[in-house]
Amino acid sequence: MYNSVIVDHFTNPSNTGEITDKDIQIKIGNSVCGDTIFIDIKLDRDHIINAKFKAYGCATSIATADIFSEYIIGKSFKEIQDISVTERKEMLGELDPSQMHCLHILEELFTKLDEHQGDTAC
Amino acid sequence: MKNSNVKNAFEQLNGVGLNPLGTAITSLKEIFTWEEAQQNELKGYLISQNFKHHYENNVFYQKVCKESNVSPEDIKTFDDLHKIPVIPVNMFKQTDSHMLLSKPLNEIEFEMRSTGTSGIPSLSRRDSDTVDQCLFGIYAMYRNIFKFSKGAGLFLFPSPEEVPEMGMVKALNMFSGLFDATKCLVKRASFKPEEAIEVLENWEGRHTRHIIGPPFLVYKLVKYLKKNNIRLNLDKNSKVINLGGWKRFTGMEISRSEFNQECSEYLNIPESAVRDMYGLVETNGLSIECEFQNKHVSPWTHFSIRDHKDINKEVRPGRRGVLFIYDPTSLSYPAFIQTEDLVYLKENHQCECGRNSQQVVYLSRIKGAEIGCCAINLEKHMDEVEQKKKSEKVEL
Repeated sequence: MYNSVIVDHFTNPSNTGEITDKDIQIKIGNSVCGDTIFIDIKLDRDHIINAKFKAYGCATSIATADIFSEYIIGKSFKEIQDISVTERKEMLGELDPSQMHCLHILEELFTKLDEHQGDTAC
Repeated sequence: MKNSNVKNAFEQLNGVGLNPLGTAITSLKEIFTWEEAQQNELKGYLISQNFKHHYENNVFYQKVCKESNVSPEDIKTFDDLHKIPVIPVNMFKQTDSHMLLSKPLNEIEFEMRSTGTSGIPSLSRRDSDTVDQCLFGIYAMYRNIFKFSKGAGLFLFPSPEEVPEMGMVKALNMFSGLFDATKCLVKRASFKPEEAIEVLENWEGRHTRHIIGPPFLVYKLVKYLKKNNIRLNLDKNSKVINLGGWKRFTGMEISRSEFNQECSEYLNIPESAVRDMYGLVETNGLSIECEFQNKHVSPWTHFSIRDHKDINKEVRPGRRGVLFIYDPTSLSYPAFIQTEDLVYLKENHQCECGRNSQQVVYLSRIKGAEIGCCAINLEKHMDEVEQKKKSEKVEL
């Protein structure tokens, strides 16, 4: 049911937690199923230098938050925007139909991050 | 079966590679006739074996046990069960709930959730063997109590297609395998009582009709019937079956006695045909009311009631306390759960219906606990959608 990418990121997440002096917080959630992700982001000008998440939901959505956090750390907004839709889809590996909603979660995380372009470090 | 033979018989089954718990599940009818001491011996064997499995396969849980100075050597019989360390139910909501797993994630087949008013879901993850034992256990209880093998079920809950992981929906939808006809009448967070009446009338004379859903939705149907002075005539063996709590998201509580009386009056069924069920998404069983409206606990599961001032102390039947559940059907995580529910057990283990078992009476959530379950979250969501639709109409 779970591919090795999801197993690895769910079982050994590397970016869980909070950033007290964050510059951005992204929140996505679904009121019915309850999948909720908070990602705190620390900027250095237009570069993301740190990201930590707290995620509540299915194993795939928790892994998605970790995969996204890992991907954005060390990149500029421009570099993150440049990733193609196909590359984004491949980030989570092969998913079962019941896990496909996590592709939307991933897409929403990228979209929400985009909305913060132009924000600067505090 | 003699008391001392129970453990030996189950050990022999285990010895030849058969599943003792599976045998207990398929022998539910017989085990419900056993005396309390025999049932306790069965629980002692099954739960101690299950404890050993989690102790040996779950690093986090073993650490918890070591901190409490408890090992499989200490848990041998029913009298030892109270020493088993429990998992507070809110741990299933934490971001690191993967630590609860006694099986690797790639063996997990199904994730089930319940969401309360906070919106934070409680996630329980089950492997293939646990799903088997959970499904067989619930079906055994459904069959034992209701004896359904035909008829029609009016389902007052969303279809699993809309909410595939919601525990309440999953458990209630299992009834569909026992009926000839079913209809889910909550669609896109909307329920119209008029449609329910139409479906029930269409089934008249063709099926024994049953109504199944959380109390707030059955209540909505009955209130509609009352308001419009409509009296339906359900069938001789019709049932109204509830799961999901009697407290509404507004804080108001539906009165059980009023509910029974109005179901009887407006559906033309005896009050004894109204049956409530109790269960937690984190465990694999349901306690189900018999015709005397006593909620029978599955005899392989043990309910231990603890003094709310000192949860290490068990209180005797008849006294209220915090419910601890020891459920041996889970292999994927320790289903030894400290709930947030205040309950008591009926003093008499023997019910008028002929079943011997623990019988649980739910009272309330403990002080400070989130008021929440699948039903409350569903009602809140349906109310929000309804309010939104109303405000959109006003704007037009």
